[in-house]
Amino acid sequence: MTTAALFIILFACMFMGMPIAIALGLSSVATILMFSHDSLASVSLKLFEATSEHYTLLAIPFFILSSAFLSTGGVAKRLINFAVDSVGHIRGGLAMASVLACMLFAAVSGSSPATVAAIGTIVIAGMVRSGYPESFAAGVIANAGTLGILIPPSIVMLVYAAATEVSASRMFMAGFIPGLMMGGILMIAIYIAARIMKLPAEPFPGVAQLGKSFMVALGGLMLIIIVLGSIYGGIASPTEAAAVAAVYAYIVSVLGYRDIGPMKGIAWRNEGEGIAAAVARNLLQMLWALPKSIRHPEVRKVILDASKVSLMLLFIIANAMLFAHVLTTERIPHQIAETIVHWGLPAWGFLIVVNILLLIAGNFMEPSAILLIMAPILFPIAMKLGIDPIHLGIIMVVNMEIGMLTPPVGLNLFVTAGITGKNMIWVIKACLPWLCLLLMFLMLITYIPQISLFLPEYIDQLKGY
Amino acid sequence: APIEIKFSHVVAENTPKGQMATKFAKLVAERLPGKVEVKVFPSSQLFGDNKVLEAMLLGDVQMAAPALSKFQKYTDSLQLFDLPFLFKDMAAVERFQSGPVGQEMLTSLESKGLVGLGYLHNGMKQLSASNPIKVPADVSGKKFRIMTSDVLQAQFEAVDAVPLKKPFSEVFTLLQTKAIDGQENTWSNIYSKKFYEVQPYITESNHGVLDYMVVTSAEFWNSLDDDVRAELKKALDESIAYGNKIAAQKAEDDKQAIIDSKRSEVIEMSPAERAQWVTAMKPVWKQFAGAIGQDLIDAAEASNQ
Amino acid sequence: MVRNLVTQLEEAFLSLLLVAMTLLVFAEVVMRFGFNSGIHWAQELTLLMAAWFVLYGASYGVKVGAHIGVDVFVKLLPSKAHRFFTLLAIVLCLIYCGLFLYGSWIYLSKMKMIGIELEDMPVPKWLAMSILVFGFVMLIVRFLQLGWKVITREADGFHFSDEAEESMELAKELQGLESKDQPDPDANNKEGRS
Ligand code: NA
Ligand code: NA
Repeated sequence: MTTAALFIILFACMFMGMPIAIALGLSSVATILMFSHDSLASVSLKLFEATSEHYTLLAIPFFILSSAFLSTGGVAKRLINFAVDSVGHIRGGLAMASVLACMLFAAVSGSSPATVAAIGTIVIAGMVRSGYPESFAAGVIANAGTLGILIPPSIVMLVYAAATEVSASRMFMAGFIPGLMMGGILMIAIYIAARIMKLPAEPFPGVAQLGKSFMVALGGLMLIIIVLGSIYGGIASPTEAAAVAAVYAYIVSVLGYRDIGPMKGIAWRNEGEGIAAAVARNLLQMLWALPKSIRHPEVRKVILDASKVSLMLLFIIANAMLFAHVLTTERIPHQIAETIVHWGLPAWGFLIVVNILLLIAGNFMEPSAILLIMAPILFPIAMKLGIDPIHLGIIMVVNMEIGMLTPPVGLNLFVTAGITGKNMIWVIKACLPWLCLLLMFLMLITYIPQISLFLPEYIDQLKGY
Repeated sequence: APIEIKFSHVVAENTPKGQMATKFAKLVAERLPGKVEVKVFPSSQLFGDNKVLEAMLLGDVQMAAPALSKFQKYTDSLQLFDLPFLFKDMAAVERFQSGPVGQEMLTSLESKGLVGLGYLHNGMKQLSASNPIKVPADVSGKKFRIMTSDVLQAQFEAVDAVPLKKPFSEVFTLLQTKAIDGQENTWSNIYSKKFYEVQPYITESNHGVLDYMVVTSAEFWNSLDDDVRAELKKALDESIAYGNKIAAQKAEDDKQAIIDSKRSEVIEMSPAERAQWVTAMKPVWKQFAGAIGQDLIDAAEASNQ
Repeated sequence: MVRNLVTQLEEAFLSLLLVAMTLLVFAEVVMRFGFNSGIHWAQELTLLMAAWFVLYGASYGVKVGAHIGVDVFVKLLPSKAHRFFTLLAIVLCLIYCGLFLYGSWIYLSKMKMIGIELEDMPVPKWLAMSILVFGFVMLIVRFLQLGWKVITREADGFHFSDEAEESMELAKELQGLESKDQPDPDANNKEGRS
């Protein structure tokens, strides 16, 4: 009865087009008012607790901020240059380089559609010029772009960690190998297709040029080293690492790359300037740029954009915690788990059900909303069936990747349609063969937990636990 | 309908506090059938330690057992229990708490609308760290995680250590990665939170006490019939005694389990070394004597006899 | 004019909170490693700023359409039905706000009555938590404004933020760069030379 009320109100509100955060909150409050004696004051207390007692959650706004600074066109271009210089000379090289560029961009951005937009805009046109079919190019990018949420840092993983209290740093480590693997699978598939379709290769630019483009790309890529390095090197907790990442992202984009902000267009070294003079001038200009950033419209826009995304996510999370609170006190996941155990459904069977549920949900909703609604229900059941919480998390993330490519709500489809100027049907057809690869990959991830668990467990072992 | 008592706590059901709460629910079910029903919500299912007292004042929780440090904003006097080296062992703590002054302190929350019903033991605190600790100089400049408490902050500052406030949920990671050098806790917490796996040295310092207070709201408590209230208090006293016995046994067992695990070396303190700590930390007593009350400190010290 | 000023203040306030939280946590790391010390009030202040950020931000999010929702189904309906369900949804949102405003008022009054302070800062707790009431009042204001816009046909829904659309901004920026770069084939390697 309680369960029915909770879910009917939730879905009615959601499909009426209410903000998901409020649909979650209203269904929880209504259920509490109808079926328990809790006062509205204590529900407000619970909401305040959800917004003010979860230090770990702060990693979310911090990573969103760092990603906002680094998800710029300039960073994307540098990563693409490096990717083309390193694998472009293989047959089908431009397509493989695009996948590599997506993987690299994924490593600085927590978002998949941003990855498609940033990399796709440049490389799809480039591939078409080099003689690739446009549908091939678009399909590759739409799929490789989904890696944005699998390769750490990932906002979706942080949301999962928040919903289940699983360690965010272990989730990040767990996403690493699957992310590389999916990228590898895509590249192998491209290589095979390239041999059949006789796709071209780029000339190798030489080791010197490769080294140069690597150094240039490194500024952005250092972010992932800072994040994973500071968590595992004993400098900071995930929340602190995220704050460090945000400060670093500001420094690289505003003072280093100078794509945005008060130093835009200022050269590191002017024509005929001595090295000592250049160093002194740059230092002074950088110092002066710090206070100037406060008023600079571009810097302010980046921060405001990050604020909008952060407050939206944190407000959903706060309401989702209320929802999870109702679930636990009414013992709803517990009852579902008992029913499942009663049916004798084994862990592998449960995982099939999980995948189907998530794939359906992925058609209509965005990843963080799905996770916040489904994780509190699925998590306790999975624990009862002996499924590793990290493994479950990676399965959910890979499902979310697929959801970005399925209509009617598929963020990567929308972006791909936008940058190619084609209609949705064309984009869906272009993505289909690659989507099958992704589904195969989901099977691998679901039934070989070691792919996800190897790295976090290996690191624990290294440290002797 | 029977009167409903929601007992909210933040630990697992199999811990001493969890078992105490379950025992209380069972005794009440036996003795006040149809009159009072106790529902236990473990593992922060209802509220965390920082919000449970507020929820109690709103009338949504009837009983809870937060650590004594959690009351520092409700009353100054309970900070007494955070003072370092005040009690020499748990027997002294027990003597003080069950004595007249200890019982009187249960009423210190009345002006804020709360009633203390009894003390529940966790145990004496030990120091764990990534380096061996024997004398105060060993912790100089080292970073220690503390619960939010002005006394505990002063205690570490007195030996030139750096107290850091960090949420309990992040402590393990911070210790594991050596971002923080050490922490203070009871044997049972060090064992159950697996701190001994990431802290190679534990010094048996017994430098302080970590106890809980079972509280209820005055509004709720005074609304009960006299006979029901008396019966509840009796059942609670029995449950607390039961929980304390388990806690004492568990402290012993967990200490032994840590020694047996060989993950962590347990260091004993000689009386001379202990004297150095007392000298270094005793100024903290004076610092808080005004807020807590010198008479309370004297009474507590007397319980060591 | 006034509307513009309010928007600027709101944006500055939220940006300031986000930046302050980031810098405070960053400063803690620097203090711990650079100076072997901590900031004893940092954690409490950071978490409090997070609460203000979210509870105030929720209403700003309604104003600028930063929230997300599922509007694929209502968009399939004929426009009259679409408007009806949107208005119904706004009424339900107002009920949500009303319930929380009422609960928050009681909660805050109780905290004011017992008069305790924050753990690490000498600030009355009810004052630090007053954003609960203020935030929901603002949320009601924003939903009423949105409702009025739907009635006067200025708006047809919640205008949910669209991550796809935002990513397209990035694409446009890049397309702009690309066309500018065309005449200068070496432009991609600007940094390479420096
Ligand atoms: Na990422
Ligand atoms: Na989808």
